[in-house]
Amino acid sequence: MAQVILRDVVKTYGTVTAVNRVSFTVEDGEFVALVGPSGCGKTTTLNLIAGLIPMSGGDIMIGDRLVNDLDPKDRDIAMVFQNYALYPNKTVFKNLAFPLQMRKLPRAEIDAKVREAARVLDITALLERKPRELSGGQQQRVALGRALVRDPRAFLMDEPLSNLDAKLRVQMRSELKRFHQDLGATVIYVTHDQLEAVTMADKMAVMSGGDLQQYAAPAEIFSSPLNTFVASFVGSPAMSLVPLTAQTRGTEVVLTHADAWELPLSPANARKALRATGPEVILGARHSTIALHKSPHPGAVPARVYTVEPTGDITFVQVYLGPSVVVVSLEPHVPIAADEPVWLQFDQARIHLFDGRSQLALSSG
Amino acid sequence: MSVRKRIDGWRWAGRVFLTLLLIFTVLPMFWMILTSVKSQFAAMQYPPQWWPAEPTLQNYVKLLDVTNRVGREFLLYFWNSLYVSTATTILGVAVAVPAAYAFSRFRFPGRTFLFFAVLLRNMFPAVVFLMPLFLLMRWMGLVGTHAALILTYLTFGLPLSIWLLKGFYDNIPVQLEQAARIDGATRFQAFLLIVMPLSMPGIIATAIFSFIGAWNEYVYAATFINDQDRMTLPVGIQRFFAEFATDWPGLMAATFLMSVPVVVMFLVLQKYFVKALTEGAVKA
Repeated sequence: MAQVILRDVVKTYGTVTAVNRVSFTVEDGEFVALVGPSGCGKTTTLNLIAGLIPMSGGDIMIGDRLVNDLDPKDRDIAMVFQNYALYPNKTVFKNLAFPLQMRKLPRAEIDAKVREAARVLDITALLERKPRELSGGQQQRVALGRALVRDPRAFLMDEPLSNLDAKLRVQMRSELKRFHQDLGATVIYVTHDQLEAVTMADKMAVMSGGDLQQYAAPAEIFSSPLNTFVASFVGSPAMSLVPLTAQTRGTEVVLTHADAWELPLSPANARKALRATGPEVILGARHSTIALHKSPHPGAVPARVYTVEPTGDITFVQVYLGPSVVVVSLEPHVPIAADEPVWLQFDQARIHLFDGRSQLALSSG
Repeated sequence: MSVRKRIDGWRWAGRVFLTLLLIFTVLPMFWMILTSVKSQFAAMQYPPQWWPAEPTLQNYVKLLDVTNRVGREFLLYFWNSLYVSTATTILGVAVAVPAAYAFSRFRFPGRTFLFFAVLLRNMFPAVVFLMPLFLLMRWMGLVGTHAALILTYLTFGLPLSIWLLKGFYDNIPVQLEQAARIDGATRFQAFLLIVMPLSMPGIIATAIFSFIGAWNEYVYAATFINDQDRMTLPVGIQRFFAEFATDWPGLMAATFLMSVPVVVMFLVLQKYFVKALTEGAVKA
């Protein structure tokens, strides 16, 4: 296993920039998830690491080797594809044996390695079958088997679970995580599902529009998103973002909406708000950090219930705060109905403030 | 209930239609075979003998017997046809496979233009090109050679072959090649070991198309080849009209023998052919 380093990697198609100066380092044995919405450049980035498409600029190192100009076959990596890409005319055994045959290993060794990989993945009984005779989950295991049958320097995975049904996906998710821990493998994993990334990855690379937005551990991405995109992409339900105006009232700083109400900020948040490039400030808050009151409350701002979504053990309430929708979570036994007037109180220690123009997080220091 | 009836009605209409179509196509062949085992006298009788009274294989014996002139000539034409058709097929596949793969997988300047330029030939009747091609062949000194025919048949067969095969390659997920390349194959090995076997039905169908096209072609063969020793079957068989005051049984026997290779090839490879038409071209 090895370290993977991307330095200012660029990929352009004509005038379109698919990947824009992306840099990050995947440490040896780390599980890194590339996440982002469709078309954000995450799969392109993975293909660049694999060498399947030529780079327009930048450097990629795998281990201690610069691999910019190396063919995929010489990069010593393994890849699991979204559609598994099993060779349809070969049996499972031959699918697993193919990477070893290409490396001209002796027949006995190939046989031993294939059987070992099959044993680990519990697919020994399927070795003589063709891929089309397998279920989705079984095909998934074979694809994984083909990747781990030789010791690659890194595993690349392109949405490997997205073709499975929901139940199997959760099961394979824990198996993949376990597999990563047992092998100490370096894994770069592309997914559009932020939940998959948060639950499996050591680090997340959040991408949007070809740019790397933030690269950090999931907990950090969750607690201190660098900009509004990361804030709204990670977490379910997403962080509520409310565009407001900051105003100074003597020694205090307040956030207002069309002068209908004022939200006084704590001293730390006030310092943040004053660092914005203009008066426009975006207030970000996760559902669990907002308290909902049914009567006026000091420091709370007036709002109106839009919909109530009971999920069983927790009830999500969508509330109109001015023109923005804010999601608040409640205990399921709290009675609440649509159009009810409510008052929201934000936990000042856990709210996020973003610059209204640059969309970047505001810091106090 | 009424819905079921309607489907059944359509099914029966379909069967009747197919039966009529079958009669339409099979009857001439049937008559050809019947005539080929009659004597010259029996073949000319009116009203016709529906079933040969004295069937004879004499016509076939004559055609396949190298000791007489007719047999020698027939077998020579047969050999010429086989040579021209096989060469056309092999060269056609050798060119169409990489061309179709390139059209399917690579984005290069002029790709769309080239692809439609390839099809442009098929928008005109073949005869339109008779004179230009003849002049071209004369300029290249190829008139009277099999090379002239092979080249001509290639230009006619390749567009369809490339089009058909491209449909096939379009349907093979590019990830299979990517997986192979990551597994240690070069781009060429990925093509050879993974893509080629998967496109075999398409390649076989293409080969059949090329072969039949070349095997049956008459106009160009009649124009480009004057030397009797180099004539192909469709032209050679024509001589039955002139020299023997139309020897109908002989002509029918020759025609039957001519259709044998194509029919046999088709029967052996038909499952690939059907696969090619349903999986490749149509889906794409």
